Amino acid sequence: MSEEPNGDSGDLLVILRHGPHGTSYLKEGLDTALVAAAFGRRVSLLFMASGVAALVPGQGAGPLGQKGTQPTLAMLEMYDIDRLFVDGAGLAELGVAPESLTPEATVIEGDAIAALMAEHALVLTF
Amino acid sequence: MRYAILLLGAPYSHQAAHSALRFARAVIARGHHLEAVFFYREGVHNAARLASPPQDEPHLVDGWTTLNQEHGVRLEVCIAAALRRGIVDADEAARHGKQGHSVQAPFELTGLGQLVDLGLECDRLITFGA
Amino acid sequence: MILHTLNRSPLESTVYRQALRALADGDSLLLIEDGVLGALPAQQALWSALPGRLLALAEDLEARGLSEHCAPGVEVVDVDGFVRLTEEADRVVSWY
Repeated sequence: MSEEPNGDSGDLLVILRHGPHGTSYLKEGLDTALVAAAFGRRVSLLFMASGVAALVPGQGAGPLGQKGTQPTLAMLEMYDIDRLFVDGAGLAELGVAPESLTPEATVIEGDAIAALMAEHALVLTF
Repeated sequence: MRYAILLLGAPYSHQAAHSALRFARAVIARGHHLEAVFFYREGVHNAARLASPPQDEPHLVDGWTTLNQEHGVRLEVCIAAALRRGIVDADEAARHGKQGHSVQAPFELTGLGQLVDLGLECDRLITFGA
Repeated sequence: MILHTLNRSPLESTVYRQALRALADGDSLLLIEDGVLGALPAQQALWSALPGRLLALAEDLEARGLSEHCAPGVEVVDVDGFVRLTEEADRVVSWY
């Protein structure tokens, strides 16, 4: 299940540690990723801790019409952001099956997280 | 070395703003070039023109302004994060039909792409999160 | 080498666990702001698996009256030392 990052170096790694709706960390972190990609930067995403909740399928808008983040996640491919990773520990804590994640993300554990960070010139945590 | 700072915390709510200003001064004191401070998320409130803290407390907005005046440090505020939170300069106020504006000069509203450029073009980007 | 900063108290936030998962051999972890509560002797078990150095910011310890209570294994640096650490590191990652 675990997999090493593929070794391609990237410009920016955005680490997303919060789920949707409760705070705007996830949304504003994703905005940073999209803007970087739109400017031609190579961007990877790592979902950790509560951030794994961003990948649970079936999310919606909030009761006042607050936008969710799943429409943004669905656009990642259009922006050539196709390197998505998820922390295996966060996945286990949430009890979510890796094959249910939407969009798909590669599960990484242990030293692979540090290796992924070392491959990117800039690491931003949200 | 060329440095940039990313500040995500509102003044007087979280120590992040004080830490970032203290770190900025220390970077300059060690002879480095501090290119810019980028204000994102709640950090945009650091640009609030009307901030009026009691006189016996550090004035963060003035602290940032002094950094710009004395060392040429650019003060860049994410426009999307700022407008949502009521941090609006004169141009944006006119565009949105609002009276008055809330951004202290020399803070400037700019795009998020600028954060990515700073992060990749400077030798170091240090985030003060909240 | 990456310099990691942590500004949340381990008594209040589990973000320190994310930082620990992301640390590589030879990385350093600098406790700042409320993170300096992690420098107290009673918290040292948290860092037993730390693959690198544990540091704490002097000014943030001092402001909280904790300078004399810092665990012996924790290296204390002032803000000038903080900048020096960022010079030595390849990059800096913040956990908050």
